[in-house]
This record gives sequence, C-alpha cells and structure tokens, in this order.
Amino acid sequence: MPAQLRTVLVLPALMWILLPGNLPSAPGADRNPEAMRIFAAVFSVQGSVSGSSAGRFGVFVRQAADTAWSMVTRSNVFTFGLGRFERGSTRRLYIAAGNGLHRSTDDGHSWRIVTSWETMEVLSVVPDPVDSATVYAATPWGVFKTIDDGLVWVHKEKGFKRWFVRMLIMDPGDRRVLYAAAEDDLYRSTDAGESWEPLKVGASQILTVLLGRRNPEFIAVGVEDGGIRLSEDGGRHWKTAEGIGNSTVYVIAGSPDGARLYAGGWQSGLWESDGTGRSWRRLWADPNVEAIFAVCVDPRDPNHLLVGTDGQGVYESTDRGRSWNRGGLMGGKVKQIEFYP
Amino acid sequence: MRRVFALPLLALMAVAAFAGTDTGFESRCARLLEVASEETETSFFSLAAKLRVRKDLPRAYAILDSMSRDISMGGMFYAYTLIGTYLHTRPMIPDSLHRKVREAFRVRTMYRGDTENHWVMYYTGIYLAAQTWPGEDGSRWFNGRSSEENFKEAGAWLNAWIKTTTTIGQGEFDSPTYMTVFLAPLLVLYEFAADPVMKRRAQMMLDLLLADFAAEHLNGNYGGGHSRDYPDDITNPLAAPAARVAWLYFGQPKDEQWDEVRFRPRHRGSWETVFGALGSYRLPEIIYRIATDRSTPYVHTETKRVRNIIRFGDVKNPPAYKYTYMTEEYVLGSLHGGILQPIQQHTWDVTFAETAPNNTLFTLHPYVSARELAMFFPEELKFLAGEVDRYHLVYTSPDKWNSSSPYEQTFQNRNAIILLYNIQKGERQPHVDGFFPKTLDERLEDQSGWIFCRRGKVYIAFFPLKPYEWIEEKVNWRWRSHDLKNGVVVEIGSERSDGSFAEFRERARSRRPAFSDFDRSQTVEFRTSTGDLMKFSFDGARMVNGQAVDFKSYKLFNGPFMHAEVGSGVITMTDKSGVRILDFNVPSITEK
Repeated sequence: MPAQLRTVLVLPALMWILLPGNLPSAPGADRNPEAMRIFAAVFSVQGSVSGSSAGRFGVFVRQAADTAWSMVTRSNVFTFGLGRFERGSTRRLYIAAGNGLHRSTDDGHSWRIVTSWETMEVLSVVPDPVDSATVYAATPWGVFKTIDDGLVWVHKEKGFKRWFVRMLIMDPGDRRVLYAAAEDDLYRSTDAGESWEPLKVGASQILTVLLGRRNPEFIAVGVEDGGIRLSEDGGRHWKTAEGIGNSTVYVIAGSPDGARLYAGGWQSGLWESDGTGRSWRRLWADPNVEAIFAVCVDPRDPNHLLVGTDGQGVYESTDRGRSWNRGGLMGGKVKQIEFYP
Repeated sequence: MRRVFALPLLALMAVAAFAGTDTGFESRCARLLEVASEETETSFFSLAAKLRVRKDLPRAYAILDSMSRDISMGGMFYAYTLIGTYLHTRPMIPDSLHRKVREAFRVRTMYRGDTENHWVMYYTGIYLAAQTWPGEDGSRWFNGRSSEENFKEAGAWLNAWIKTTTTIGQGEFDSPTYMTVFLAPLLVLYEFAADPVMKRRAQMMLDLLLADFAAEHLNGNYGGGHSRDYPDDITNPLAAPAARVAWLYFGQPKDEQWDEVRFRPRHRGSWETVFGALGSYRLPEIIYRIATDRSTPYVHTETKRVRNIIRFGDVKNPPAYKYTYMTEEYVLGSLHGGILQPIQQHTWDVTFAETAPNNTLFTLHPYVSARELAMFFPEELKFLAGEVDRYHLVYTSPDKWNSSSPYEQTFQNRNAIILLYNIQKGERQPHVDGFFPKTLDERLEDQSGWIFCRRGKVYIAFFPLKPYEWIEEKVNWRWRSHDLKNGVVVEIGSERSDGSFAEFRERARSRRPAFSDFDRSQTVEFRTSTGDLMKFSFDGARMVNGQAVDFKSYKLFNGPFMHAEVGSGVITMTDKSGVRILDFNVPSITEK
C-alpha cells in the first residue's frame, strides 16, 4: 500500500477515535454491523484451583480484526457457554457459568446472576429468539425454563430418563423445538420444553448436537468415545459417521452456508466434512492441543476459523484450516466461541 | 482470705468433674487466640485474633487492607472468613477499612464452588454480608442482585441444607479434614444472624455436627468411616483439623499440638477454630459428656447420604450406612462400602486412643475412574482425573491412602470386620493395600494365617484371605495383596477385654475364618470373640447368627447417646445426666 494512501486511511481513523465521544470505551460499544466481535467463554486457566484464588477466567471479547482480548466479566467466573438475544433495540448477553446464569442488558458492562441455587451449574443457555423473557438453561439436573426473565425457573423434566444435560439448542426454524444433549440420549421437545422424547441415537453420553442448515432433517451428535452419529430424517434413523472413528467429540459446527462441517474433541484434532457429515477427514492436529471444545466459523468469511482448546487458548486460521496461528487466551480452557455483532 | 475462695472453687471443680463438665473451655479459647495472634501466616483467622487480643495492630490493619483489596483472592473461603472477621472486629476497624471490606463484595466474584462445604461457606458469607449492608441495589454487589435478593437466596439455601442434613444426613459427613469448614461458617452464622430463627438453626446445627463428632470421638480422633479426608489426616488422625476441634470443645487430646512436629496440622493450626474462640457458642454439657464418656463400650450407627449424583445414577442421594464400635482403648468403624463420595473416601479403620502418631490401621482398594468423578462433577470425563489430581495430588496414585471403590464392601459386627474385594479384570490399580503404622509395638505373622499386631493395650488380629507382600515406607508398612478376588478379616481386642496379647492370639488361632471356594463364592464366615457367627458374601447378604442385617432399618443416628429417625428432623441426645432434643421442624431445643 502506498504511504500516501495509508496516511489518507489512517488519519481519519485516528481523528475519529480521538474525537470526543468516539473513544472505544467498552467492548462492543461499536454497533457497526460490519464490526463483528468475537466472544470466548473461558472456563478456567491452567493451574487454577476452585475456591482458592480468583483466576482470570470468564468471558473475553475482541474485535474480529483485532488480536487483543479484553475481559467483559469479573475474574473467577467458570464459564461453560454463551447465549445472545437481539430483537429490535433489546440486546442481551448470557453466560452459562458454574455459579449460575449471568445476564447483561448493557452489552457486558454489568452482569446479574438470574438463576438461584436450585439450578446449580448452568452448562448451556438458549434464549428464546422472540420473547426476551423466555430463556432455557441446561444443567446437571436437566432443563430449566423461565418465562419471566429469570424471576422463576421451572424444571422441565417430563420425558427425561436421566437428568444430566450438557448442551441445549433450538431449531432455528421453529422456536418450540429444542434438542438436549443428555447423559443417555439426545432428547427433543416440540412444545417449548414442556415435554421431551428420546430420539434413540444409539449411543449414550451425548456431548454436542448440530442441526443442518441446508437440510432441516439433518441432525449430528457428538458422543463420548463414540464419534459422530447422524440422522438425515429428523431423528427417525441414525448412522455412524465415517472417518472419525470412536473419538470423543465435544463440538460440531457448520459454516454459515452449511457447505462444510467441523468437529473437535479429545486428542484427535480438528475434523472436517462436507455438509452431509457422512465422511470426515482430519483437518488439523497439534501435539500441544489435547482437546478442542469449540469451533467457530466467521459468518462473513468461511475461510476464517477459530477453535477453543483445553488449556491452549484460541487457535485461528484464515485459510480454512490449512495453516493456524495462536489466537490468544493462552492457558485458557475455551468452551465456546461466538461471533456477535 | 485466699482459702475462703479456694475452697468453693475446689468444690465446684470436684462437682464439675463428677458431672462430666468441661471447665477448661474459656482458658483454651484464650490460649488459642494468643497462639493464633502470633501467627505470621496471613489469614483472616490470625488477623481476627490479633485484633481481638489487640496484638500487633498496625500489622493487622495492613493485612486487612491488603486482603480486602487484593482481587487475586475470592470465592467461598474468602466470603465467609472476610465477613466473619469483619463482624467480629468491626468496632476496632478504621473507617477506610470498613469501605474496603464492603467493596470486596462488589468488585470480586465470590465464587460459589461445587461441594457441600463450599456452599455452606458461600451462602453464609452472602447471607451475613447482605444482612450487614441491606437496601442496596444490584450495582453494589458482585452478582448484580440486591441485598434483599442475596439475603433471601442465601437464607433459602441454608434452610434447605439444614433440612436435608437433618432428615437424610450430611453428604460430606464425618470428615476430620473438612469438618472445620462446616463448623466455622456455622459459628459465624450463629454469632451474627439477626433473625432469631436462623440463629437458632445455626446453634442447633452446631450442636448436631459436634454431637455427631462426639459420638465417634476418641481422645481427639474422629473414629470410623469418613466421607472425605486428606491422606495425611487418615494416616495420622491427630494431625487432622478435627483434632483441633476436639481440643477446643472436648479438651482432648490434652496436649497442645501447634508446635508438635509429629502432629503439626497440614494447615498449621486449623485456624478455623478461632471463630469458636471468638464467639459466644458454648458446647452443651451433654455433648461434652458424649465425647468423653468411654466407660462402657457401645455400638453407634448412622445413615448419611451420598453426595449429589448427577450422572450414572438413578437416585440423587442414596444412603450411606455407618457402623462404629467404641471402647476406651480403640474405635473400629466403617462405611458399608462402594462409591459413597468421590476422590477422598475413607471406608474403614481402627484407631487407637494413643498419643503416638499414625495411630490407625486400615485397608483399601485404590480405585481410579473418570466415571466415578463424572458421577459428581459436570466437566468432561476425559479431564476429570487430571483436574482432580491437580487439586488433590494423589487421585491417580496406586499408593494413595484415600479412595472409594465399587469393588470394596464391608461388614462390621462390634469389634470384628470383614472386608471383601472383587476387583474387575483390567482395572488400572489391581491391588488391595493396608496401612500398618510403624508405631505398632508388635507385628507378628502367625503360622495360623493371622497377622497379630499390638499397640499398647490394643490388639489386632488381621487375617488376609490371599497372599500378600510387605513394602516398607516412611511411617508405615504397606501390606499389599494382588489377587482381584480378595478379602481380609479383622478383629480388635484389648487387655481389658482379652487379657494378655498371648491369650488374645491363642484364642484367635482357634477361630480362623472359613472361606473355602472363595474365588467362586466370595463368601466368608467368621466366629467372633464374642461368639457371633458372621457370614458375608460380596454383593450378598450380611448375616449375624443367621439373621440378615437390614441397612434399611438403620436410623439417622442410633446408639446409647444419639437417636433420630430418618426423615424426622428430630435428634435426641441422651446420657445418664440428661436429654437434649433438637427439633429442626420448629426449630426448638428441649432439655430434660
């Protein structure tokens, strides 16, 4: 880039930053829809011991084009997952954490724990996309739901045979349909969590679930020591995905267009498949990375991938996984990564 | 003149001694505060002691200033000790430090933790902090909840915990290591809860936990099976924090141990007891007598509960059954076996009323399993063993001295116990270990198959069903047996009940356990010294003289000193001088 052109571009940017009111005061203050931010849920850092000290872990954020992370929570928040609600002018961020479900209504400036002691840890959160007062939480005791913004949480256990639920997702096409990755099976609710039915995946210890973007009948689940199980008919029949074997799979993610799927887990690296999920190949492995908990594809750039690891922070690729760089948060156990506007 | 005062004092002491009254508590409190106030270790306990005895005040203020500002600290241990120290010493603290203490509850996450003791500490801290600073909105609290919301939630959890504990039992029960982190927050709660009902409940819980300890206490030792324990506290019982609690409240062991290297507690002083010395809670005399009256041997049984099972279980809190046989010279106690607590379970032992260190003997199977940990913790299975190893250092060690194992079952009848092991093929640690302290006076391998041991006036007959080896270690001999289908029969005696050691051995020789075809049947029969015939099969019935033992008939507490039905919430303490009834449903205390 010619020096003059750099000056032309940089000077107005600097002036914009230095003008009163334009200082980048807080993470996410910029509401430019092009300025996506990356949120990372850091469960803990290597060497931290519960209760003895306030470790620097919680939720971190950075601009997509930046490399420096800043913390948007206080330290010492054992973070399992993230959730977000945006409709009109109402925006909410959620943190599924060891001490409950945290909610921010001011873009991460302040947080409030909205669950009480009955829910114990919250492992996964799904806000209803239409009604800001309705939120679902996955916990070791099953699914809880609030319809009054967290004042009252109701245990939605009808149909479950075991109580442990690691992950909860909502069908993007029907907000009454939810899926729960549970200890003994994948469960589905078609009545907004009131009742649940097991989908007889043919495996237990369901760790993660993904719904297809192209085929609404497509469901993929990651299993403890069982690789990936697939259904292409809405959960009526299941088969084992090829190539990935009996790996333990903590996360399955798809590219925004649904053309590619990615999976990560225990001691097997990052896996890739086309949108059918039938056959997988190892895309990347690093001897330093014992496990991958999170995979996220940039919604604007399918070549831009981020993975959250166990104790090695974030790794990042801008060429769809051919090469990788450290993405920061070293030492962090990163459970979820999301691009939010 | 001096004689005028001395005579009534002597008479009072004589009456007190006769009635089993503790006259030394106040002086022990003063001594504890004196020692703790000289402690150089930085903690809220030593800080509180310094402020109370007005020693080294500039240093005390500096510590409080530092600890209230340093946000590298936080969590449940911090929450209750900060507010407890603050409330105990508030009149002596400069204004600037008042503000810093208040700010500590705004700027740092008081993490709640993931165990029962964590939650007791956390919710006690939050309850008292919210009570201390009422009427403040969520922006003034780390969790965004108002004072009233925090107060209400903390109170609700504390009440729910009390109800659970008094109806189906404590989860982290009878822990020589962890009991102080239940007692200390309760002491603070009792001292400062403004609500008289919560204050009464805290008092009653202190009574209950201390009586629970007292019934199985022997000269500073917490006898029997324990839900959770650190290895050092298992192999050297008088080094456990429970011994410091016993010293303070029961006056036993008589010797101070702060500077005793042999017993030096891991955490130097178990300084949580400082809150006992600072506060107004006083042990009811009946509990003191329960802890110290060992004139008659007795059987004491309890029902406790397994910690919350979140995976791999059908019941959230299955019962855990305890059996304890107490004498003046030793206590033999056991849990019924299996996985009742993750990581740190101590299933059985015999502990001697001794001043020598390592005054205990026991066996275990050192089980390791991610599945075991995943029953209780929500994190990924693959990481749990490593995580736990980081915290507790020894979880995956084949030589560890604490373990719960699905392959271990016990059957105790008074002074005899049968341990059976059925270790599955392919298990990571396929052996059974036994701890034999070097402080034993004698350890003899008899041709009859018995191993006879003596420590002072206590005798042990230990019959291994399978071959074994001895491994010498620093403070003990490790008995190790490698057969997967395994077992041991143990009987304890004493000079008082059995005469000489030679007589004890001779009688045992004629009572070898019967275990023919053991690998197929996993069944043992044993005629005890009292004439009972015990018969026990792994995963089968436990029989005494042809009658099956029914654990389901176990009470919450049952023995000469304590009685409570499961589910009742009413605990009755009895001794020859009186009755004390704790009715948690009201709540009320009745003395007769």
